[in-house]
Amino acid sequence: MTYALVLGRRALREGIRTPEAIVPTLFIPLFFLVVNVGQAARIFPGSSTAFLHGQGYGAFQLPSSMLLAASFGSAALFLVEEIEGGYFDKLRATPVSRSAIVLGRLIAEGVKALLIASLIVLLGLAFGITIASGVLGFVLLILLTAGWAVVYSGFMQVIALKTRSAAATNSAGLVFFPLLFLTPNFVPRNLLTRPMEIAATLNPVTYVMEAMRSLVLQDLHWETIGLGFLVVAVAAVLMLALSIRVIERYD
Amino acid sequence: MTETTSVRTAPRAGGGHCAVEAEGLQKTYRSRSGEVEAVCGVDLRVEPGEIFGFLGPNGAGKSTTVKMLATLLTITAGTARVAGIDVAKEPDAVRRQIGVALQEAGLDPRQTGRELLVLQGRLFRLPPRAAAERAETLLELVELTDAADRRIKTYSGGMKRRLDLASALVHEPQVLFLDEPTTGLDPASRVTVWDEVRRINERGTTVFLTTQYLEEADQLCDRLAIIDGGRIVRDGTPAILKDELRGRLGVTREVTLDDVFLDATGRTRTQVAGEVQEVKA
Repeated sequence: MTYALVLGRRALREGIRTPEAIVPTLFIPLFFLVVNVGQAARIFPGSSTAFLHGQGYGAFQLPSSMLLAASFGSAALFLVEEIEGGYFDKLRATPVSRSAIVLGRLIAEGVKALLIASLIVLLGLAFGITIASGVLGFVLLILLTAGWAVVYSGFMQVIALKTRSAAATNSAGLVFFPLLFLTPNFVPRNLLTRPMEIAATLNPVTYVMEAMRSLVLQDLHWETIGLGFLVVAVAAVLMLALSIRVIERYD
Repeated sequence: MTETTSVRTAPRAGGGHCAVEAEGLQKTYRSRSGEVEAVCGVDLRVEPGEIFGFLGPNGAGKSTTVKMLATLLTITAGTARVAGIDVAKEPDAVRRQIGVALQEAGLDPRQTGRELLVLQGRLFRLPPRAAAERAETLLELVELTDAADRRIKTYSGGMKRRLDLASALVHEPQVLFLDEPTTGLDPASRVTVWDEVRRINERGTTVFLTTQYLEEADQLCDRLAIIDGGRIVRDGTPAILKDELRGRLGVTREVTLDDVFLDATGRTRTQVAGEVQEVKA
């Protein structure tokens, strides 16, 4: 774990020194938040829409934006750059475990996501959104977002290690859009059409989004929250196992 | 060109084993068009303390061989031992004994030179303070103290090569693999790297050097092997190889390492001059 932390610090430093890679991570999700709220807020007024629990439509959309931000990590592209530049081989030539090399970047992505998610929530608070589940809910919301960031970065890292191509890695990243839109993104699951409801029920991102949404709109609903964390935990273990397998077979 | 006629062999105390030993080393890649044999049964012995040159034209299998010896590529068939340790069976133990500087100066452009060396030290299990001290020593060794706190992306090609060399030395390796360490450098930077290599070798480190520059091999190497088409086609000291060719051709003129190389690889000067394709295995 020591070496994963040492490499994680290095990856964080890399992120800080490349602000141009972080700014879109914050800007694009906020852009979608503003656009989605602007388009649908009048259809779903807070005063008469039961699923908003007395808040505005911005509160309902906030988790989507946070998940989007968490899926914009640049770790995999930095990794491809490293592979192409030869530094990755330099790291592989050291006696640290292969899992530490993979984990280092994921730790850094988790920390970056904690900061970005906090910033998005703070901006939301400034615009009247409240976190109904209180301070503990805020902490859980941020942790869930960071957990998802680790999962998605793990997936992207696998693609980067398999393809060693920036173009392929970038394209694979777009997978998140179908995953995000096959969820109760604009309305709760029970208001979706039947085919969309089935798709959303099969989509694991739905449970993460519903957990986050419950933290924003309601008091602590442990069953929903637990399901969200369970999905993140299972996906994280799978992605980590896959990443380690791929780096160990890297030739 | 300076001829190297003596072979230095200065085994490390307590050694007794070859620095590098390979038998029947093979690497086969699968591609869409079928199997490609990049290395086809290479046998090598490098004694402790030597500077060993590994020459060959583009795509001959030099880098593939180095990457197998340095644990970066799996071995399809055959065996390899570095510092007496089996490369396939104990890769981590081998990694602790070797330094690696590959063709592309493998550096992280967003770190400073000092940060890179400290990180490298930490990854080789040095405590933080020891890693910082080692970084300082190495920066002095490669004359980069003044640029130590600048980001690597601002370094010149020569500075990057020297830093890459320093990063391969952080843990005082027994065997140093240098894959074309002077490719792309201007003549002055090339001579500086040569000086570094000699200095490193004088401290007891075995150097395994691949190069396409025959002058470099002549200047630096105690012994060399020429690989072509994945097979070793010549090996010996530069002097012996030249004498052998002179005797075989029955000429009295001075024979150069260029002549040995061309004879060994069956190439002509025109072919070599026109050879621009870089095949990375």
